[in-house]
Amino acid sequence: MAGATIGERPGTLRDALRDVRDQTAGYSGIWSWITTVDHKRIGIMYGVTAFVFFLAGGIEALVIRLQLATPNGGVVNADQFNQLFTMHGTTMIFLVVMPLSAAFFNLLVPLMIGARDVAFPRLNAFSYWVFLGAGIFMNVSFFTGGNIFQGELGAPGAGWFGYAPLTLNQFSPGHGIDYWAFGLLILGIASMASGFNFIVTIINMRAPGMTFFRMPLFIWMTLVTSFLIIFAMPIITVALFQVLADRLFGANFFNAELGGTPLLWQHMFWLFGHPEVYILILPAMGIVSEVFATFARKPLFGYPFVVFSGVAIGLMSWGVWAHHMYTTGLGSVANSAFGFTTLLIAIPTGIKIFNWIATLWGGSISLKTPLLFAVGFLAMFVIGGLTGVMHSMVPSDYQQQDTYFVVAHLHQVLLGGALFGLFSGVYYWFPKFTGRLLNEKWGQLHFWLMFIGFNVTFQPMMISGMLGMPRRISTYSEGLGWEFWNMLSTVGAFLIAVSVLVFMYNVVISLRSKERAGDDPWDGRTLEWAIPSPPPVYNFAEIPQVKELDDFWHTKYVENEQGQLVRVVAGAAEQAEEAEDDAHHDIHMPSPSYFPIIVASGFPFIAFGFMYDFALLPVGAVVMLVGLYGWALEPATE
Amino acid sequence: MAALLLLALAVLFVGCSAFGGDQNTFAPEGDVAKKQLEVFYWALWPAVVVLILVTGALLYAVIRFRRRSDDDPIPKQVHGNFRLEIAWTIAPTIVLLALAVPMIAAIIDLGGDPDADALHVNVTAQQFSWLFEYPSLTDAEGTPLRAKVDELLIPVDREIVVHLESVDVNHSFWVPKLFGKLDAIPGRTNDLKFNATSPGTFSGQCAEFCGIGHANMKFTIIALEEPEFQVWCEEQLALEPGAPVCQR
Repeated sequence: MAGATIGERPGTLRDALRDVRDQTAGYSGIWSWITTVDHKRIGIMYGVTAFVFFLAGGIEALVIRLQLATPNGGVVNADQFNQLFTMHGTTMIFLVVMPLSAAFFNLLVPLMIGARDVAFPRLNAFSYWVFLGAGIFMNVSFFTGGNIFQGELGAPGAGWFGYAPLTLNQFSPGHGIDYWAFGLLILGIASMASGFNFIVTIINMRAPGMTFFRMPLFIWMTLVTSFLIIFAMPIITVALFQVLADRLFGANFFNAELGGTPLLWQHMFWLFGHPEVYILILPAMGIVSEVFATFARKPLFGYPFVVFSGVAIGLMSWGVWAHHMYTTGLGSVANSAFGFTTLLIAIPTGIKIFNWIATLWGGSISLKTPLLFAVGFLAMFVIGGLTGVMHSMVPSDYQQQDTYFVVAHLHQVLLGGALFGLFSGVYYWFPKFTGRLLNEKWGQLHFWLMFIGFNVTFQPMMISGMLGMPRRISTYSEGLGWEFWNMLSTVGAFLIAVSVLVFMYNVVISLRSKERAGDDPWDGRTLEWAIPSPPPVYNFAEIPQVKELDDFWHTKYVENEQGQLVRVVAGAAEQAEEAEDDAHHDIHMPSPSYFPIIVASGFPFIAFGFMYDFALLPVGAVVMLVGLYGWALEPATE
Repeated sequence: MAALLLLALAVLFVGCSAFGGDQNTFAPEGDVAKKQLEVFYWALWPAVVVLILVTGALLYAVIRFRRRSDDDPIPKQVHGNFRLEIAWTIAPTIVLLALAVPMIAAIIDLGGDPDADALHVNVTAQQFSWLFEYPSLTDAEGTPLRAKVDELLIPVDREIVVHLESVDVNHSFWVPKLFGKLDAIPGRTNDLKFNATSPGTFSGQCAEFCGIGHANMKFTIIALEEPEFQVWCEEQLALEPGAPVCQR
C-alpha cells in the first residue's frame, strides 16, 4: 500500500511523494468515491448529501408556508401538514445542520492540525454511509409508511420531538413513527462513530508543536461538539429503544393507562435535545471565529476566553434541559432552578460575542461574502440569544412556549445562526477544496437575499406568536390578527428559496470558471492555506512544525524596524520547505476499502426486519458480520 | 440595519396591544396574564438595549474598520485585553442576576396556594375537545355540575383553580388573555390558578401538538358577573334560587 515501503532504502521526500502519487493515480470514477477513505472526499460527500437534504427540507418548509399564508389554507390536509413539519424539523437538524458540520470537520480537521487524515479513515467512511442510509431510509417513509396507492403519505407525523404517548401505536398507527425512530437510531451510530473519530484525531494527531492552545478555534469547537455528541446520543438512543419497545413489543414505558410515564420521554429527549442545540451551533461558532480573524487580518481577540467559554457552554448545556418543560407542571422549585441556569448560559455566549466584535475592532476588514455571512451570523445570533434569555424567564415563557415566538427564536439560532455560519464556511473554504473561488458578485446577492428573506420570514413570527398563534397548527381562522404576519413570513420564505437558487447557480458557474484561486486567496492564518488548492491526497508533503498560534500567518509576516508587519519576501517560506534533509521520509496513506459501506448497509435491513418481517433480520446481520470480518481482516498494507 | 429593523419590531410589540385579536397576549384580562406580560417586559427592555448596543458596535466596527484598499497596512496584532474580558463577564452576570431575582419571585407568586373561596374546576383534555366539571357545585344527588364541551363558565374576579388531566395524549390548556400554558399529561394532574378581571368571552386553544385535530381543539372561557354565574349554576343544577352550593 503506502509510499516508500518500510525496510527498503531510506526514501527521500521526493521518492515518498512520487510513490504516493503513483499509488493514488488510479483513484477516479464512482468506485473510487464508494471506497474512498480520504477525509477530503468524505467531507465533500457529506456536504453535497446534506445540501440535497437541505433542498428537501426547504421544499417541505415552503409547502408549510404556503398552507399558512392565508387562513383556512387548503394546500395540504392536517395529516400531510403534520408529516411535513415533522420531516422538516427532523431533516434540517439531523440531515442538514449536523452533517454539514460533519462535512467541515472532515474537510478541515486534518488540514488544520497538520495531519494526513483522521485517526480512523475507514470508520470515517462508515459514518458517512450510515448517515446516507439513514437519511434515505427516513425519507422513503413518505412513500412506504402509508398506503401510497390510495394517495396516502406515510412519513412520521408526531413532530421532530416525538412526544410520547402520541408516538405509541394507538395514536400513531402505520409505520411512520417506526421510520423516524429507527432512522434516528441509525443516525446516532454515524454520529457516535464520527464523534469518537474526531476526538481521537484531535488529541493524537496534531502536528509537532501544535499544543492545545495553538489549535485553531474551529478545532476547539469540533472537539467540544464531538464530546457533546458522544454523551448526548446514548440518551436519545435509550429513549428511542423505549418507544420502539412500546410500539413493537407492547412494552410499557410511556403508556399511562398501564402505569407508564409519558413525561419520562420529555426528560430523556431534552436531556439529549439541549446539548444537541449546542452540537448544532458550536461548529458554526468555530467557523466564524476563523473567518473574523482572517478577514480582519487580526488574531482572534481573547483566544483563551473564547475557548473556555465554548467549553463552558458545552458543560452548562447539560443543566438546562427542563427549560423546554416549564409548562409540564414540574413545580416552582424546578422551574426556578432551570430558569436560573438558563439565564447563566447567556454569560459564556455573551463573552464569545464580545470577543468576536473586538476581533473586528481595529482590524482591516475585507467585506467579502464569507465575512458578510459571518457578520449576518453574529447579528442574527444576538437576536436569537436575547429571545432565548426572554424565554428563560419562566412566567413569561408560559405565554410564549409552543407559539410562533419560539419558532422565531429557534430559527434565529439555527438558520440565522448555524446556517449563516455554515454558509460563511462554504464561501471561505470553497477555493481550498475546488481550487476556485465562488463568484463574489453572486455571493453578495446570495447573502443579501438570504438575510432580508430571513428577517422577513422569522421576525414577524415573534409577533404572530405574541398574538397567540400556537405552533404546529395546520390551519387557523381569520379574525385573530395573524393574517398579515403569516403572509409576510410566507413571502420571506420564498425570498430565502430564491437566495438558495442563486447560491446553486453560483456554485455551477464558479466551478466552470477557468480562474484559479491559488493556495491562499484570503491571506489565511491557519495551516490549510499553506498547501495547494485543492490539497493533494497526502495533504502535507512534510508534516509542519508548529511554533505558535496562527503559525502560517507568522511564516508570511515579520515585523520590520518600525515595528510594522510586512510580508516576508515571496518564496522564502517555500524555499525552507524545499530544503532537502537526510531524514527518512515515508508517507503512509490508508488504502481504499469497500467494507465500510457493506457494514453500513446492514442497518436499514435490520430496521426493515423489525418493522415488516423478522426474516430480514438475519439478512442485515449477515451483511454486517461479513463486512465487519472483512474490515477486521483487511490487511493494513497491500 | 438589523438594529433599525429590531427597533421597529420593538415598537410594533408595544403597539401590538392595539392590533386586537382574541388571543393577544398584549391585552391581558386576568391577573395571571398581566403578571406574565409584566415579566415579559422585564426581559424585553434590557434585551432591546443590549441588542442596540451590540449590533451598533458590530456595524460600527465593520464600517469603520473596513479595508479600503489592498495596500492598507496590516493592523496591529492585538491578542486580547484581560480587563475587558473581566468587564464583559461581570456586566452580563449582573444584568442576568437582576433578572433572576424577580423572575424567581414571580414563579413562586404564581405557584402559591389558592384562595380559600376559589372555585375549583376539573378539566379533562381529550383528542380533540375539552371537558369541564365543577366538583364543588353538586345537585341534590351529589352529581357535580358539568359545563358544555369546549365552553367553561366562570365568575369574574374570583380565583379559579384548574385540575388538569388528559385521557389520551399530551395537550396544553391555554387562554392567552387569561393565563399562559399548562400541559395536560396522561397519568398526572396539573394545577393552575387564574382569574378574569372583567366579564367577557375569552378564546383559547390547545397548545401542545396532539395529532390530526390539533388546530381545531379550541375552547372558550366565558366570565360572568358573580350573580349571573350563580343563576346559571342554579338553573343547571335545578336548584332553588339562593341555593348555598352556588353561593360564593
